[in-house]
Amino acid sequence: MKAKINLDATYVQSEDLVSREIEGELIIVPLVAGMGDMEDELFTLNETGRAVWAKLDGKKSLKTVAKELSAEFEAPPGEIERDVTGLAEELLKRKMIVKASKK
Amino acid sequence: MVASPDTQFKPVLGTKKGKELFLSSQHLEELLKGVLDKGACFRFQGKGLSMSPFIKDGDILTIAPLPTASPGLGDVVVFTHPNTGKLIIHRVIKKGGGSYLTKGDNVPEGDGLISRAAIVGRVIKVERNGKHISLGLGPERFLIASLTRRGLLFLLRPVWRLVRFFYKGSVR
Repeated sequence: MKAKINLDATYVQSEDLVSREIEGELIIVPLVAGMGDMEDELFTLNETGRAVWAKLDGKKSLKTVAKELSAEFEAPPGEIERDVTGLAEELLKRKMIVKASKK
Repeated sequence: MVASPDTQFKPVLGTKKGKELFLSSQHLEELLKGVLDKGACFRFQGKGLSMSPFIKDGDILTIAPLPTASPGLGDVVVFTHPNTGKLIIHRVIKKGGGSYLTKGDNVPEGDGLISRAAIVGRVIKVERNGKHISLGLGPERFLIASLTRRGLLFLLRPVWRLVRFFYKGSVR
């Protein structure tokens, strides 16, 4: 089931994870029940995923994030908005981001 | 002309198992410290034979952040070696003056003096083949540290064999 994303809302990276850039890849270790488990599932983000991730600071709405990325990557805004929403849905479903705004 | 995949906007969230990651000591330390700094434990597969027989190559170790108190005698701690910069898991065999003498249970030489600041965590659990291995982390750790300091850990071998015999039903 897809998590419901609101483009006008702001989202922030969850505090229950640790992320580090290792050899060009962002490795994300979720903290589940007080444990960062390397034997369990870890997550990675590719370069453009990292660009989205870096902007999820709880201040900018997803719409603003998409707009900024559209300018940075010189890509159609609609396409970028779709991809940002898709990634945000995945991240929210896995509790890697949380909604920061009340919207 | 085909656009380079690097310039295409296609954010992807991937998944990986820790086993698929080949982390250097430095990168492992970064992740370990990041997790411990949040007050959480870190579970990963240890490599090496220096703590055999209590910790073996491939055992799954759980590292806990150190409380404000100092590590105790016999504790198995994780630290960054001041000379090599490598992440090491060895036992505290002596302490004093804010420094710790550490040594692997299965190596002849100690690591030298390690400062409190270099110690990042403590091993609280060892798993082998899905089983919890408690020997070496309980009260017996004081005896292990004491014998290790005197180079007499071999005296525990007959005891170790007996323990294995009763637990596994075979002597090797």
